[in-house]
Amino acid sequence: MNLSDSKKKLALAGAICGLVAACLAFLGNPANMAFCIACFIRDTAGALGMHQAEVVQYVRPEIIGLVIGAFVISVATKEYRATAGSSTATRFVLGMIIMIGSLVFLGCPLRMIIRMSAGDLNAWVAFVGFTLGVGTGVFALKKGFSLGRAHVTTKASGTVLPLLMAGIMILSFTSFVKASEAGPGSMHAPIIASLIGGLVFGIFAQKSRMCFAGSMRDIILMKNFDLFTVIAAIFVVMLVFNVATGRFVLAFDTPGIIAHSQHLWNILGMYAVGFAAVLAGGCPLRQLILAGQGSSDAAVTVIGMFVGAGLCHNFGLAASATAVNAETKEIVAGGVSPAGRIACVICIAACFVIAFTHKREEAK
Amino acid sequence: MRKKELKLVVTFHTTADAMAMEKACKQYDVPGRIIPVPRAISAGCGLSWCADLSVREEIAAMMKKVGIEEEAMHECMV
Repeated sequence: MNLSDSKKKLALAGAICGLVAACLAFLGNPANMAFCIACFIRDTAGALGMHQAEVVQYVRPEIIGLVIGAFVISVATKEYRATAGSSTATRFVLGMIIMIGSLVFLGCPLRMIIRMSAGDLNAWVAFVGFTLGVGTGVFALKKGFSLGRAHVTTKASGTVLPLLMAGIMILSFTSFVKASEAGPGSMHAPIIASLIGGLVFGIFAQKSRMCFAGSMRDIILMKNFDLFTVIAAIFVVMLVFNVATGRFVLAFDTPGIIAHSQHLWNILGMYAVGFAAVLAGGCPLRQLILAGQGSSDAAVTVIGMFVGAGLCHNFGLAASATAVNAETKEIVAGGVSPAGRIACVICIAACFVIAFTHKREEAK
Repeated sequence: MRKKELKLVVTFHTTADAMAMEKACKQYDVPGRIIPVPRAISAGCGLSWCADLSVREEIAAMMKKVGIEEEAMHECMV
């Protein structure tokens, strides 16, 4: 069955991914996080000791499942293609920017959609920034931005990230990795459910070419809604799930859902993510899928995201979430630290430098 | 719903090449439009140029003239 030759089938793929996210939220993943690429890479980086934030350390099998699921389905359907060599170091930096922007907002584009479906108005504010970021990236594309072409390389080269992910999965059963005893890192679905969820999500994301930045790019550039259909289906399924389980709360200050209400920084954080994602050729989810189907360039972007996650918590760049004071029961507003704000501005400036210094040869 | 037709689909090595193609086609008045790469062709999520099969030679000549290299030229239902 070809899952990508009509909008109805693309919507079905999105709905299945939405169901996976809903099931994982129901089985124990943090509220309204469900399936967040940035958060889960951050947790996995913490489990590997890349940062020392004790509440966000856990090997998330979903991330591993995504990469291996994309790898398996791309090999099975002859879409696996090992490529490399497109501005590798720049992609590493873009991966770091994507992660820093995500953790200023507290979520990747996928979680932004999940938070929007739960009524979190902060995510709707951030969506404005994300759209503007994608729009700026599209402007750069029109002005001749290019990271250069990727070249076909040895088949084994494309298997590096899937193998690394399999290695992390094996490590997670040992005492070498860290696991949070409190906080978001301690909240998770059973390992086998997370792994299967990741595999299924990865398979359908690969077949549907699911990409949050790509969907907005296609709308802005070509008024094409194919990719958006997939995203809309995820939104609808999660909306139904949130309403049915009483998790839909239309508000800004909603303690317990790991979000903050500093509108400017929600906008700028996701602006950086949208901008960097268009330059890198895909959102965080898409980078994992591309890495699974053989792109070493995407694999380097993913490694940049891991390093970015480490930096975010080692240097205090990640935002804090709005929470309830356990003693006074008062709501304590979360937000972005001065270091996080400076980092976010630097990330946006770096995106502009990258966007207008990497040009197609003939366009210079 | 629009009926699918057999079309010429030109794919490129980079998104920038696709954008350059759009610009060049406008400049030289070559028919066609930019579309996402059809899923039947590639697992990528890039851009491609879609045109009638009848303008294949005209497009190839223009691409050679302006220095745009195609990845491949396909005929597929779009």
